[in-house]
Amino acid sequence: MPAQLDVLRGTLDLLILKALSWGSAHGYSVAEWIERVTDDTLVIEEGSLYPALHRLEERGLIEAEWGLSGNNRRAKYYALTGAGRQALKAESATWTRYARAVFAALEAPASLKPASV
Amino acid sequence: MSSRKEPLWRRYLRFFGPDIEADVEDELRFHLDMRERSFLARGLSADEARKAAERRFGDFDRHRRTLKRQDGRRFRRNLWSERVGEWVQDLRYAVRMLWHHRVFSVAVIATLALGIGATTAIFSAVDAALLRPLPFLEPERLVELRRVELPFAPRGQAEQPDARPTIRTVGALTNVYSDVAAYAVGGLNLSGIGAPLRIKVGVVTEGFFRTLGAPVSQGRTFTPEEGRPNGLPVTVISHGLWQRQFGGQAAVGQSVRLNGKAYQVVGIMAPGFRFPEDADLWIPLTVPLTFASFEPFRGWIPIVSIARLAPEMSREVAADRLRGLWRALPAEQLKDYAGVVAEPVRPLQGTLVGDRRTPMLILLGATGLLLLIACVNATNLLLAHAAMRERELAVRTVLGASRGRLIRQLLVQSLVLSLAGAALGLLLAYATLGLVGGLLPREMTELAAPALDGRLLAFAIGLAVATGLGFGVLPALGAAKADAQSVMKSGGGHGSTAARRGRTRRVLVTAELALALMLLAGSGLMLRSFSAVLATDPGFMPERVATLQMTLDRTSYPRSGARLAMLQRLLDRLRGVPGVEAAGVINDLPMSGVAGISIEVDPEDGNLAARFQDRAARYLKSDAGYFRTMGIHLLQGRLMAPSDDSLAPAVMVVSARMAQEVWPGQNPLGKRIKLLDPDTVGWRSVIGVVSDVREKPDEDARWQMYYPITEDSPNLVAVVVRGTLPERELLATLRNAVQAVDPSQPIYAVRTLAELRHASLTTRRSNTTLITAFGALALLLAVVGVYGVMAYGVTLRTREMGIRAALGAGRADLVRLVLGEGMWVAVIGVGIGLIGTLALSRLLQSLLYGVGPSDPVAIAGAALVLLLPVVGATLIPARRAARLDPVDVMRSE
Repeated sequence: MPAQLDVLRGTLDLLILKALSWGSAHGYSVAEWIERVTDDTLVIEEGSLYPALHRLEERGLIEAEWGLSGNNRRAKYYALTGAGRQALKAESATWTRYARAVFAALEAPASLKPASV
Repeated sequence: MSSRKEPLWRRYLRFFGPDIEADVEDELRFHLDMRERSFLARGLSADEARKAAERRFGDFDRHRRTLKRQDGRRFRRNLWSERVGEWVQDLRYAVRMLWHHRVFSVAVIATLALGIGATTAIFSAVDAALLRPLPFLEPERLVELRRVELPFAPRGQAEQPDARPTIRTVGALTNVYSDVAAYAVGGLNLSGIGAPLRIKVGVVTEGFFRTLGAPVSQGRTFTPEEGRPNGLPVTVISHGLWQRQFGGQAAVGQSVRLNGKAYQVVGIMAPGFRFPEDADLWIPLTVPLTFASFEPFRGWIPIVSIARLAPEMSREVAADRLRGLWRALPAEQLKDYAGVVAEPVRPLQGTLVGDRRTPMLILLGATGLLLLIACVNATNLLLAHAAMRERELAVRTVLGASRGRLIRQLLVQSLVLSLAGAALGLLLAYATLGLVGGLLPREMTELAAPALDGRLLAFAIGLAVATGLGFGVLPALGAAKADAQSVMKSGGGHGSTAARRGRTRRVLVTAELALALMLLAGSGLMLRSFSAVLATDPGFMPERVATLQMTLDRTSYPRSGARLAMLQRLLDRLRGVPGVEAAGVINDLPMSGVAGISIEVDPEDGNLAARFQDRAARYLKSDAGYFRTMGIHLLQGRLMAPSDDSLAPAVMVVSARMAQEVWPGQNPLGKRIKLLDPDTVGWRSVIGVVSDVREKPDEDARWQMYYPITEDSPNLVAVVVRGTLPERELLATLRNAVQAVDPSQPIYAVRTLAELRHASLTTRRSNTTLITAFGALALLLAVVGVYGVMAYGVTLRTREMGIRAALGAGRADLVRLVLGEGMWVAVIGVGIGLIGTLALSRLLQSLLYGVGPSDPVAIAGAALVLLLPVVGATLIPARRAARLDPVDVMRSE
């Protein structure tokens, strides 16, 4: 098993939005998707997914509806709203730029070392 | 599979909105179950799978708590904003509807504005006088000590023993009364700074300011030394006087002249303090009282004694202790004070409001009736309006609007109307504050003038909400009850609902007429009283007489001789002016609002004495010219002559009523009288009898005794002059004559006798005006109400009328039909109103003069004044009904 990383604050919201961009899903399948696509690298305490979901719902980025799951159980399904789609776009662009910048810094050649005073 | 146990009933909660707790539980449990199944699928044992799922989930309880809190908050917020949203929607809808039906809205708003405005205006006076505490420190602890006097030390003598309580003996009860004081209001000439000025002076004991808890803004108040006879002459001035006379410059330590005598200013009161009345300056009232304190008065000091109750002391206990002092009097003397012993102290506020309390409450009651009428009228208009909108409401019901929502919308609409009415009413009230201020005693207008403040605003809004709900609820319920189906079918406005509403409206109009009659009858009684007062013979001829008053101060005119010489020069000068017919002088003018002095008399005949023990005679000092100028007739004997001076035998002229009642059937000339006042000695004989003069326009003439002014001239005198000159010139002549005789002499109250009489009627006039105005408004509203109902009734019965006309009913028949219906309403309304009037008019008793509370002329007049316009208001729709063309009517159906 590869080393596990805690999910950064704020990143979870982005992951949830991304997870829902494929269509509506309940909380468990969101958790499963994150687990799957990150190869278990990112560990989320699954319980903390729900306050995040409800917060996003409150902010109007996602909307919830009760439905029946595959095994005929009552489950709450979440789906992106228009605002959520916008937010996903903006957030992922920001995040990518940020990650690239940090990565560029870490991969910088020795010739670019800080000037000595 | 599900490990969750949920009581079945919880599911039913969802009928009342989402069940947050259950939803959170469901969502999280679902997750745990799914995870558990995925571990089971990987081959874990059931127990391990459950544990692993729980581990993976984290702290289940904590997450559940967080979610419940979060969702609960959101739910409540949503609910709230949803409700507010609905209200805003209703409000918008109401405003839109009212704007659409502008004529209707304006009618309702104007009606309510009249009712609310009048009630608010009168309430402002009641609030200022009766409800708001006096603006003194802990005013609930301030009481009046009834009939408690100052100890008295006559000229050059020691203090007189007095068995009655005095402020000194009451003041000794320190555990009951923490401070006691006495005050009186008089007038003095202020000079030494700026132009000479007549000012109102509070003559107050040393503890006065302490008792009231009134602070100085500069300097100090009086010291105990200054509060004793022969203390240094010092004065405390009002903030306003300081600003006006000293221009706000240093004043403490300066000296001013009061009636020519120098007083040192030792303090300036805080802004706004003018008590008692609207005093501008205070000087010490000495304990014991001496004649030196009489300077600002007319031979009698109207002293009021007050006290501050000790902390935690109840008024009952305090009264009891004071009663103890009264009971120490010998029985013979005590019986004169029965009333005082029953209630030895009363709240200061009550003392200040005095007999103005009743008129204020009566006026408030009158406005209450007016407001009721306005409400009834608004209800009627609303009902008519609801009929117009019946179809619209029915459509909305069919489209799914709930009955509750419809009622709410209609109520919101009536609230919008009543609040708009209140806003307009407040403007009306604000415009009439000056008029209302006249209802208050002067203390009140100075201390706590009625103002458009938060309290009044709250009152008006409260009234608006109450009336809005009151007049709105009936139409709202009625409208919501309407059967949508029948309305839709009938095309609206002709169904049984309409008929029921018509009945309701007739009942309302009947009530309105009854209320209006009560107000009109009240107006009638007040007007009849006013004309009765105007018709009274004052006992003098007020036309073409000018008067002024002046104080001949002791510095310029130390002796009676000097004063008499001055007056003689003045009168001679006046009589020399062409166009002047007569001139005279007296100490007190009638109807000038001055209580003056009355003294008990003991006529010579000892047998009569007992009968007249509690009768008092007015004691006046005048010359013969006074009677000629005033047109008071000499009925018997002679008037005083210049030779009746201090050396001549003591004589007097008495009024006809006094002569008749003291010596019935005898010749009063030569009869003698002795005053019961121990200070005066010797007998005085009657030389003449003159006609009676009323002291107040609505009070019978009292006994009057006129002494020759030439015996001993008072300091305060009123000069009267009658002439053929125009009023203005007559006044100028009088003013100029004083100026010519003594240029430095201040004069005041320069006015005609007619003005004086007019002024004496101010309170009665404003009471009468207000009640009459309310009656007129009530009449207007009632007539509008009747017209509305009758006109609507005719519209409603257009079809019936058409049929009747087609079947051969003549115009006269149709007019009679409508008119008859209107008359029924009017007659029943007036009948009920008459019963109400007879039941309530006794409350007016204290304001009436010369008429009884069930005066048939006033009441029948009111009924007539109400009925005639009501007939008129019924005739208009009746004639319209008669003009209906049956063919048109049928075709329009």
